[in-house]
Amino acid sequence: MEGTQAGKVRTRARRRKALQTVFWYAVLILISLVTVVPFLWIFLTSFKGPLDQVVSVPPQLIPRDPTFANYVRVWNQLPVGKFFLNSIFVAVCTVTLNVLVCSLAAYPLAKMRFRGRDAIFYLLLATIIVPVQLTYIPSFVLAVKVFKYYDTLRAAILPNLASAFNIFLLRQAFRGVPDDLIDAGRIDGASELRIWWNILLPVVRPSLATVAIFTFVTSWNDFFWPSLMLHTRERMTLPVGLMALQGMFTSDFRGIAAGVTMVVVPILIFFIVLQRQFIRGLTGAVKG
Amino acid sequence: MVKRFSLTPYLFLTPALIAIAVFVLFPIGAVFYYSFTDYDIVTPPVWIGLENYLKLAQDPVFWKALSHSLVYLIVTPTLIVLSIALAIVINRNLRGIHVFRALYYIPAVSGTIAIGIAWRWLFDAQGGLINGVLVWLGVLQEPLQWLAEPAYTLPIAMLMTIWMGVGYYAMIFLAGLQNIPEELYDAALIDGATDLQKHWYVSVPGLRPQIVFVFVISSLAALKVFEEILVLTNRTGGILDSGVTMVFYLWRQAFRLSHAGYASAVAIALLILTLAFSVFNVRFLERGIEAD
Repeated sequence: MEGTQAGKVRTRARRRKALQTVFWYAVLILISLVTVVPFLWIFLTSFKGPLDQVVSVPPQLIPRDPTFANYVRVWNQLPVGKFFLNSIFVAVCTVTLNVLVCSLAAYPLAKMRFRGRDAIFYLLLATIIVPVQLTYIPSFVLAVKVFKYYDTLRAAILPNLASAFNIFLLRQAFRGVPDDLIDAGRIDGASELRIWWNILLPVVRPSLATVAIFTFVTSWNDFFWPSLMLHTRERMTLPVGLMALQGMFTSDFRGIAAGVTMVVVPILIFFIVLQRQFIRGLTGAVKG
Repeated sequence: MVKRFSLTPYLFLTPALIAIAVFVLFPIGAVFYYSFTDYDIVTPPVWIGLENYLKLAQDPVFWKALSHSLVYLIVTPTLIVLSIALAIVINRNLRGIHVFRALYYIPAVSGTIAIGIAWRWLFDAQGGLINGVLVWLGVLQEPLQWLAEPAYTLPIAMLMTIWMGVGYYAMIFLAGLQNIPEELYDAALIDGATDLQKHWYVSVPGLRPQIVFVFVISSLAALKVFEEILVLTNRTGGILDSGVTMVFYLWRQAFRLSHAGYASAVAIALLILTLAFSVFNVRFLERGIEAD
């Protein structure tokens, strides 16, 4: 008797567990509809042919007359390939230079004692609060009159040479490196530059990777400043080109959808490949 | 630690300090100077004293922009509540949970311009999915001109900011949740806490550093909102300037109308607003990030 009683309780518990699992999957799927449907709708629209409805009640999602014509049209009218190359060039240069410059600066801030260290550190910290848009008017003047890089890709790279936030994150990472490692290097007669390159950077590689990935995505999606600088079609980055596309294809929803898809898919693939680093980077930003 | 005086630390800092000086510190000084001048970027600035500021004080669009930027701050508490809720939902060991987490994160990496263009079509009067679904379900009798309705411009932009941010901030909170010791939840269960109480009394206090971080970051971002407005209103700022924010007004004055002097005064107002808002946050920001 008792055995079956316990068995019943167990089945009931198992059934409740199963019900809970179903409930949570339902919740998860509902939430993912909210984030995925707009993308899916744009993606499907980009394949719609001339016979497919863009305007209809109820909305038609699946193209019945699928075609690549929209992609071809966008590709032929705008140098989308060039946008890609420009974006890659700008993002790669920005990441390389920014990580180098910031990690150079982070080393003394984390591991050396010298006059003015705290003053410099707090000055850098304070610049995080300053809205970057505030600097665009003088930076525009500099670009036109001093650096003469208006309408070149350099203009999209150089102002992002250093960022206080990255210096801050890398300083946190360097602080976690044991002093013994650095002292060992010094006893061996290594220069500070060698210590930085051969000891510190390899040790904090995970932090470097997360800083690099975040800088890459920020640069890839950056719009305001590049849109002020880049005016020749062949020199535009993706977001700037996308705005131009919206201007050109005003009411051609299929074409715009194709353009948006071409821009979003690569960054999504990049994200999926590096998902783990992304998540760890976020955690690192808060926890140091 | 290097104790004797040496040039080395300064040499390491030089490239970064030069970059910050040229692209941040100098521009702050310059924009302050421009704000007292009549300047169109092409011809040299002409000193006009406080004229820009006096004009600003009487400019209804500026006050509108200021109030819109302050209203935009509503996204911050909304984001915090929704992201914590989402973090709690995704903080469980289900098969395929990583796929769901990735799906929620997608809007955060796709870029504001691409998403903004998608949203413009989502809310389009003719072909928009929102109208299509609402009319089909009978909620609306006929398509609504969402983006031509001044009252909706700002809310739609805010909705977009929230939609883009929730997955991102939820990941931050998820990491925080995973650091809260399991025993605290067990203790709460023994004390007879319900699920909701458990999260209110254990999760929320445990997430304090993350809440501070998200609060500071998202409110600073809200005060500077620009791209959402630019894309959704197709560079116009919306009917009757219904979507104009501080940064949008700065952009329009400086780079559309070539009123760089006047725009600089807007920039200084933005700086004051941001500073006023952050002064009491700076210490929290540091504590939040440095909480080892």
